[in-house]
Amino acid sequence: MSELINLISANAAMAKTEYAIIITLAAGLVLFVIPDRARTFKGITALTVAVAAAILTAGLYSSGPQRFIPELWNAGKYLSLRIDNLSTLILFFVSLFSVLILLYSIVYLKGRIIKNFYSWFLLTLGCSYGAAVADNLLLFLTFWGILGLTLYKLIEAKNEESSATAKKSLILIGASDSIMIIGIAILWRLSGTLNMSEIQISTGSPLTAVAFLALLAGSFTKAGAFPFHTWVPDYAMNAPAVSSAYLPASLDKLLGIYFLARILNGMFITGEWLTLLLLILGVSTIITAVMMALIQHDYKKLLGYHAVSQVGYMVLGMSLGSVIGVAAGLFHMINHALYKSGLFLSAGAIEFRTGKSQIDDLGGLSRTMPVTFAAALVFAMSISGIPPLNGFASKWMIYQAIIDFGSGAGLANKLWVVWLGLAVLGSALTLASFIKFIGGVFLGRRRNELDKVKEVPALMWIPLSLLALTCIAFGVFATKVVVPGLFMPVTGTFAFTGFWNSGLVSLLVIVSILAGALIYLATGIKKFRTSDSFIGGEKFHEQTAYPTPEFYKTFGEFRFLSAMYRKANEKWFDIYDLSRQAVLWFSHKLSLGHTGILSGYIIWVLAGLAILLLIMI
Amino acid sequence: MAVYLFYFLVFPGLIFAAVTGAFLSWFDRKITARVQFRKGPPLLQPFYDFFKLLLVKETILPKQGSPFIFLAAPVFALFGATMSAVFILLPLFNIKSGFSGDLLVIFYLLTIPSFSYVAGSLASGNPLASVGGSREMKLIISYEMTFLLVIAGVIMKSSQNFDLYSVISAQQVSSPFIGSISGVLLFIVAVFCIQAKLGLVPFDMAEAETEINSGAFIEYSGVPYALIKLTKYIMFLALPAFLTGLLLNGFNLHGINILWAVLKLTGVVLLLTLIRNTNPRLKIKQAVSFFMIWMNLIAVIAIVLAYFGY
Repeated sequence: MSELINLISANAAMAKTEYAIIITLAAGLVLFVIPDRARTFKGITALTVAVAAAILTAGLYSSGPQRFIPELWNAGKYLSLRIDNLSTLILFFVSLFSVLILLYSIVYLKGRIIKNFYSWFLLTLGCSYGAAVADNLLLFLTFWGILGLTLYKLIEAKNEESSATAKKSLILIGASDSIMIIGIAILWRLSGTLNMSEIQISTGSPLTAVAFLALLAGSFTKAGAFPFHTWVPDYAMNAPAVSSAYLPASLDKLLGIYFLARILNGMFITGEWLTLLLLILGVSTIITAVMMALIQHDYKKLLGYHAVSQVGYMVLGMSLGSVIGVAAGLFHMINHALYKSGLFLSAGAIEFRTGKSQIDDLGGLSRTMPVTFAAALVFAMSISGIPPLNGFASKWMIYQAIIDFGSGAGLANKLWVVWLGLAVLGSALTLASFIKFIGGVFLGRRRNELDKVKEVPALMWIPLSLLALTCIAFGVFATKVVVPGLFMPVTGTFAFTGFWNSGLVSLLVIVSILAGALIYLATGIKKFRTSDSFIGGEKFHEQTAYPTPEFYKTFGEFRFLSAMYRKANEKWFDIYDLSRQAVLWFSHKLSLGHTGILSGYIIWVLAGLAILLLIMI
Repeated sequence: MAVYLFYFLVFPGLIFAAVTGAFLSWFDRKITARVQFRKGPPLLQPFYDFFKLLLVKETILPKQGSPFIFLAAPVFALFGATMSAVFILLPLFNIKSGFSGDLLVIFYLLTIPSFSYVAGSLASGNPLASVGGSREMKLIISYEMTFLLVIAGVIMKSSQNFDLYSVISAQQVSSPFIGSISGVLLFIVAVFCIQAKLGLVPFDMAEAETEINSGAFIEYSGVPYALIKLTKYIMFLALPAFLTGLLLNGFNLHGINILWAVLKLTGVVLLLTLIRNTNPRLKIKQAVSFFMIWMNLIAVIAIVLAYFGY
């Protein structure tokens, strides 16, 4: 009897998964046919489909681990799917972000030209579902690869720069996918299977280490970790805010870190040196990206660098190997997706109303766009790790995991102070660059040309406020509800080694706010006089203002840092430009052989033939 | 619930910490006056200052910028200071109630006041306040990692425990952490971090009365400024008390030992006061390299020494 129930539930889960994938993909394809003039209709259709898929995937939640091979495709071993607590977690949040961002995009996309946005959006959704449940590595790679293509199509080709960015993203993601194929081939050779759930090998030998690194490259490029991160900031700057919020900020993080969790906690048993390497890459991601974020003037690019920097924390948590570390990494991944997609949507709202992309041109929007401001403030405080918000909770867990890790014996364990110190420095620098964002865009003096700016329509601020409320809730209920409810089923239970009463402290925050309001009311807030700033008796001129983008110039004055910044601006550290230069150099060398003289070509052909013969013999 | 509210609002939170902190700040001012051959203020001067601002002085809001954040920032700063004071003082008085925060929580709570000052200064729309806010933020970046390294050194010395209860009890069982070379180095670094966190000379470039008219606080007056004063009093207790717990084996509240506890606390405050009276204000760039290079270096040396058991 129980077997029968199992079978039925397994079939139900299978059906739900398949339908979720199929309806989104099919709807995406159908929407190609409908002309873009009916954009609102397409948007509403896409939203309906996404909601239906979300309901289907939410129904999968807590259905227990299971593997199945869909019968209707009848293609046997290549189409094996797997559902466990990790993949249902990913599915759930993929659905959540898709619905919220679609809701936002219906108004936002008015007056923009992205061909077939909703089709590509739904294809992305379907492929993300597919990647999160695929067990066979080739099937996984197929879905994963299509995501690179949709990323390319979701950017609007408005000028040369955005086309170059789209190309850069496609090439970097595509290259990493082909590196992954090498890894998968080695895995198949070593273990004789392509199912993720059946592979478990240690990284002792060089060959397995190569396979591990190849798959790691794929995961790092998708999630945007050092040194494969360089597409993210460019993409964030040039793509419309909805695309940035959708792919680099949420879905790519979810999937990239999902795959990292799979390879670290199932497919490979990592040794000490690989752990050390991962930790070094993690802290490098945090510090390099946030240092670049400090000097940005374009607020979307600033957010893009933070979309990279935060990945470092996830990599740190994941690579520690402890249960709490993995849970912390996953928690940070979800938190990051929440506040970063929120930040991109806020940036979209600012851009929608003002049409400006530089922080220097903005300022004082807090009065005219109060909801956007409140939401952006919550996101900024979350990402900077201000207690009691969610970003603090997950960082606190990561720090704990690092301190626990420090009691081990290996070299990486001995260096725990380095990982902890740099992670905290990254957090302080994040705070600094968000002071710049919030201060520069929302606080300070408002320019006269911004006087007519209004709050965005409700369809845009509703998703924003929902994300902000989720951020707050995830922070307030972190230790009691969220971590035990969402992440312990995935990783297994563990006890916190530190003390953090998030609920009680949040209550005291509310008490403080009420007390503060009471004090202001009791002392007569009505009587408070308003007056213009006192600047030592001088008159205020535009050029005497001290705008926030100038805040951190001091750091650029240090010789070492200014040299690094100069090199970074010359793209010395961009793996894309480096490899492009290498390829160009190489092809230039090859072109030297093209002399245009017939006898020369004949010699080349004969030489090639001879080499071929030698190899075949 | 009521007991937690009591902890937060009365003892050892808001009222206790503010009153004690106010007395400590009187002590600081009195010593400063003696150093400068002045008579110094009466004992209740900090309270006169606070109540004058709260009840008598007019509150002026900035015309530009965001009045809401301008008013909310002092409240949030006060929350951060009070909360960290509670989490620091509960272990020091050895009150175990299940309501506590570990060192990392305290560390993050202690940044809330500085962060709020920056937010408040930006909300005022005054360029001088922006200068102050920018300096405050750069100062935070500089000392944050140094301060964490001190805490990491302490965690290392108490064998990877990172709650203040076990740090204190580890010291009370054996000897205070300051009784070793690494402990002394950590103490020196921590004193400078606290100096910067309190915004005292030589690290008062964010306020710099003589240069940018109190910078970050230039637009504050009346009630919100009273709240900032209160926050500063609380921080004046919380940070020296934190140092006492981290390296000077905390308080022991039996008989004559109470005197020792008071002496330790006032000793730390005296040290801070003397540093601030014998040094000129640094430029922000000098402060950045002071922490980023020299203090970090000393802290790392201390940690390496601690690892080898010195």
